[in-house]
Amino acid sequence: MSVVVSASLILMVPLLLAAMGGLVHRASGIVNIGLEGQMLIGALVGAVVSGATGNWAAGMLAGAISGAVSAWLMTLVITRLKANQIIVGLGFNILAAGVIGFVLAWQMGVSGTYRVPGLDRLPRYDIAWLDSIPVVGAVFNNKDLVFWLTLLLVPLLVWVLRSTRFGIRVRAAGDAEQAAASQGINILHIRERAGLIAGALAGLGGAYLSIAQVGLFNEDMTAGRGFIALAAFYFGRAKPVPTALACLVFAFFDALQVSFQSSSSISQLLTTLPYLSVLVALAITAYRDTIKQKKVASV
Amino acid sequence: MSSPVTSDPATGEPDSTSTDRTITAGRPSALAAVLQACLPVVVALALGAVVLRVSGIDPFATYALMASNAFGTASGLAGTLTSATPLLFTGLATAVAFRAGIFSLGAEPAFVLGGLTAAWLAVVVKGPTPVVILVAALGAILVGVLYSWPAAWLRVRLGVDEVVSTLMLTFVATGIAAWVVNAFLLAPGSANSATAAIPVDLFKLMPPASLNIGFVVAVLLIVGYAVFLRWSPRGFELHHTGVNPRFSATQGVSTSRVIVAAMLTTGAIAGLGGAVHAMGVVGRFVSSGFSADYGFTGIAVALLARRSAMGIIPAAILFGAFSSAGTTIQLFDNIPLDIVDVLQGTVMIFAVATFSLDWLRRRRGAKEAP
Repeated sequence: MSVVVSASLILMVPLLLAAMGGLVHRASGIVNIGLEGQMLIGALVGAVVSGATGNWAAGMLAGAISGAVSAWLMTLVITRLKANQIIVGLGFNILAAGVIGFVLAWQMGVSGTYRVPGLDRLPRYDIAWLDSIPVVGAVFNNKDLVFWLTLLLVPLLVWVLRSTRFGIRVRAAGDAEQAAASQGINILHIRERAGLIAGALAGLGGAYLSIAQVGLFNEDMTAGRGFIALAAFYFGRAKPVPTALACLVFAFFDALQVSFQSSSSISQLLTTLPYLSVLVALAITAYRDTIKQKKVASV
Repeated sequence: MSSPVTSDPATGEPDSTSTDRTITAGRPSALAAVLQACLPVVVALALGAVVLRVSGIDPFATYALMASNAFGTASGLAGTLTSATPLLFTGLATAVAFRAGIFSLGAEPAFVLGGLTAAWLAVVVKGPTPVVILVAALGAILVGVLYSWPAAWLRVRLGVDEVVSTLMLTFVATGIAAWVVNAFLLAPGSANSATAAIPVDLFKLMPPASLNIGFVVAVLLIVGYAVFLRWSPRGFELHHTGVNPRFSATQGVSTSRVIVAAMLTTGAIAGLGGAVHAMGVVGRFVSSGFSADYGFTGIAVALLARRSAMGIIPAAILFGAFSSAGTTIQLFDNIPLDIVDVLQGTVMIFAVATFSLDWLRRRRGAKEAP
């Protein structure tokens, strides 16, 4: 069991990064359907740069930058050309997969999987004194730096959204667009900056997949994680702590599925759990809201 | 749950500005509408040209080759129309929901589950070929309708945003289909998670090409939809529910009923499309890659068609031409098929973009003002 939990913590990292990015974007008023594509771009660029420089940190940074730039461009179409965010996101994912597939096939001469020569993997660390505690040692040891930083990201985002000027503006742009605009806040700017953050985190998550988890690039490696991240921040109602918990649960499903893989086809049904739980959560929330409205109406 | 979508799904134009524009600019002419629809295609071809150019491939020669492959020969045309067929179904399916002002992504799951149902029924039902085909098609339609029910119910009863629910149900459908195939329907000795080969075949229009009667059915459905919209009171209700639900409600239209009907119709048409694809083209159901995102491309088709029913036909044929010609240039000229995704994705993105005509107009207005 502690093996599965330890595995789910590693699987949680890319999910959590993308979900936190999507959460910031959502808080600013944009549903980022393109997280999947931004992760994929980050995964490829991260892997290539890690291979070229022989430095995993450079790879992670490049993954974040490429994700940020691509998400920023996507956001510009939404904010400046007033395009529907859902369609733009779906189109962005197709476009990103297309460009990446084209580059892989034409420039690298491979189809699907690209084994980057000299790719520098993310080193994992053991904390000696953790081993003396029975379960905790098995669960938390053999993790990497990015894992710990990602955990810190959750309280950091709570603070940023609650107490900083930028965070309050982001929430204002999302919750009260008109009021924010009347206060002289440039909503489009805020949403574009939120897009930069969303893309950077999703790209970082993608780079984590290729550099830390797998050690190569595959065009299917994100495998819907961008959409599970979307499910997570919908489930968490765009709040960092509930969203992070959703990521942990979804990653646990994922780890279970991996451990079931050989034994039964039931594992295929497990893949539907994150999406089903979002549906249930949305239904419950909506049901509560209608009850509340009825009460207000009867008063 | 507040809806994250703030624009009219059928045109992608934000609510506030679209009314402004109809007041100031009047009804756009048919020519302007066609030009508007062509703009995203032009942008896509330009971006595709950049990708090709950077890769050292001559874009103009490639596009000329693609055009001649897609339309130049009888077999090429048959390939294009074959590729367009699933998109005619999913495009129409999506357009119906868009008309009701509903942003349903429900065509993709209905297409997948419809295909699975038809592939199963066509194998287990014994009888004369037309009966088998009919039963399989009806089964697919039924499953498409049933699977669209939860999102429709959640929308009208609890006000759950249909974009999110249909998106989530798309992934649920993928998981269910993979599970059903692997647990119950796996063909013996199949490595690719495929069901047994379907023994019946749809009537072929241009043998040996796979172009089949499904194409005709799809076109007839679209013509029927155009007639329905124009001449039937129900079509009038559908249209007005999308344009102004509150006004329609005051006029005695049950908008909830219209919305449910539209969403279930989306499932029915897309489910039928899946059945046609399974029986006419693939010949079985495969759990990975049965639908090459036909439901999502159908959204792009519906968007390109703007609010025109008949516009779905050229839009679907355009995307059909992309994917069919993309396959041949990959085969004979080694240009990666992925260029098609580049073109399709870009068309989709810019089909909903409002180009800067407004912005220009506003600027001119600002200059003229004292």
